Amino acid sequence: MSAREAVLGAVRAALGRPSPDPAAVAAEAGALLADPDAIRPSLPLPDPVAAFAARVVSPKVGATLDRIGDLQELPEAVRRYLAGHELPRELTLQPDPALRRLDWTGFELREAARPDEAVALGRARWGIAETGSLVFHSGPETAVLNHFLALHHLVALRAADVLPHLEDYAAVAGPAPRNLNLITGASGTTDIEGSYVRGAHGPAFLHVVLVGAPLP
Amino acid sequence: MAAVFQYGVARALSDPNLKLAIDRTTVTAERKRAAALADYPQFAAARERGTAIKDHVVANLDHYLEEFERNATASGAKVHWAADADEACRIVLGICREAGARRVTRVKSMLGEEIGLPHALEEAGIERVETDLAEHIVQLAGETPSHIVWPALHKTREQVSALFKAAHRVPHEADTVEAMVESARRELRDRFLSAEVGISGANFLIADSGAVCVVTNEGNAELTTTPPRVHVVTAGIEKLVPSIAHAFAMLRLLVRSATGADLTQYTTFHCGPKRPGDRDGPEEFHIVLVDNGRSRMLRDGLREMLRCIRCGACMNHCVVYRQIGGHAYGGTYPGPMGAVLTPALEGVDKARDLPHACTLNGRCQEVCPVSIPLPTLLRGWRDRSWKEGLVPRGVRSGLGLWRFAAERPWLYRLGTAAAVRAMRLFRRGGWIARMPFAGAWTRYRDLPAPAGRTFMEQLRDWERGR
Repeated sequence: MSAREAVLGAVRAALGRPSPDPAAVAAEAGALLADPDAIRPSLPLPDPVAAFAARVVSPKVGATLDRIGDLQELPEAVRRYLAGHELPRELTLQPDPALRRLDWTGFELREAARPDEAVALGRARWGIAETGSLVFHSGPETAVLNHFLALHHLVALRAADVLPHLEDYAAVAGPAPRNLNLITGASGTTDIEGSYVRGAHGPAFLHVVLVGAPLP
Repeated sequence: MAAVFQYGVARALSDPNLKLAIDRTTVTAERKRAAALADYPQFAAARERGTAIKDHVVANLDHYLEEFERNATASGAKVHWAADADEACRIVLGICREAGARRVTRVKSMLGEEIGLPHALEEAGIERVETDLAEHIVQLAGETPSHIVWPALHKTREQVSALFKAAHRVPHEADTVEAMVESARRELRDRFLSAEVGISGANFLIADSGAVCVVTNEGNAELTTTPPRVHVVTAGIEKLVPSIAHAFAMLRLLVRSATGADLTQYTTFHCGPKRPGDRDGPEEFHIVLVDNGRSRMLRDGLREMLRCIRCGACMNHCVVYRQIGGHAYGGTYPGPMGAVLTPALEGVDKARDLPHACTLNGRCQEVCPVSIPLPTLLRGWRDRSWKEGLVPRGVRSGLGLWRFAAERPWLYRLGTAAAVRAMRLFRRGGWIARMPFAGAWTRYRDLPAPAGRTFMEQLRDWERGR
């Protein structure tokens, strides 16, 4: 008998009932998602973009935030950030056509992050207001490692792509990508005496540039 | 085992650093969890829902296992099944050998610890690099995790500093926690990028997509699972959830209960190997589904324990854990959940002491995000060890004597009346510092002297006088 049959057989014997009706199981699973508002935190602000913006700079996420009216202004916003941190104008740029076609004159760009990369810039597909998360799907236009190797992780996000809750992402996501990364803050650890330190293995700094949001 | 547990407890209690180290982390964890729940008034409803989701999965476990296998296979993953720990390790080692692995990186996984994977890799001569900071500390110290969320919780910063200075190629200079974390970052960076195989566990298995959810705050999981050519997941069969939306409902409970954050910094869902055009990712993606006693738990009345999502809240709030730490428990899983799991995994005859090392104060059940009735399950083990004749003769005859008296109220009253009077002979200013047959207690602390007469005697007088 294969291990598969042994495990499934033992589970069925322990449950002591015939195989369940898939339609009944699906209906029950669906019912467990009813009334999502009853089980998730309500947003502190009615506007999801405002709630997201407040959330990412709160201590819960600890990111920094910049707002620009149009994606064309992104290189300038990046220049501001690098200057503020006294970093040279070089970075790993996510191979996303929307980012590539911007005017990066004066920048040294790389496609793939180096092991000791200082800065990586990417574009998130969605933002989640509830948690302040940035959502990435891996693929030809998004390398996973770029989000993790750099010390400074810069992320552009269109305000129109901010979703209120995690379940809203599940509703719009489509088929599962190879990697779905929900990034909610910089890398951190509390493994030494429970004290919180940033930049454990991944980025120590997360900087969000919200695009298309009216400037406050 | 009894002697082993007693020895472990004695060693823990006499360790001058341990209590300090335990308190530094668990007190913070308790405070942060409380603050997170204060901001989440929906917690009670969410907890009820999370409990129902896990119960639904367990009641339909065969259905979800097959659905997950179907979808994972369609995504290009290779699904393996293991009935026990040895089989699981054999499968993982086989994959490593096939990949020609000399070095593997590993993300902390309690299932990996449970099946003895670190040891198995070592025996096979494969270099194992633990990438979670705490597991890295534990590996350098040659120890095992003492907590399921903070494996190095038993180490003080001074001890960590010494370990890093001895082992790291370019160790920290300043003795700050920040500098130590940076030292580990430097030390591990090239290891991440040079491993042939990356091994992770799973926080959730998503049945309708075949994806595997892994959460960390350090980002070590993605650095472990992306660069190597092969990614292996080992997961207990109870980790299933129907869909990603169900996983989100569970994540809200898990993270708040574990660290007091609302969501982990890095929450990643892995679905199959690298796809055409992908910039990075593993070429092979293996998932090993491990039973190792879980179907037996389902059969033997421990179904509720299969809800456990490994948050660690029960141990953070346990008065016993906070005195003795994780190592004294002797198994993979410490604290209240460990005291229920270890007898199931290793046999009640080997772990009989664990369900007894509990005050039944109920804190663990109160804080459990999936409402596991831990005290009831612990009592179940006590009951079983009694029925199986595992309780030592001294305890059995003592309890027999007590029962004989308890069933005869006149005798019980006579006995207690004599006892309180006798005990008062040993009192010094309201306390008893020494008394025959009570040495085990009075060796460490005084016993309050009882009132001159029993409660029943006082009640009788009070009723007469009324």
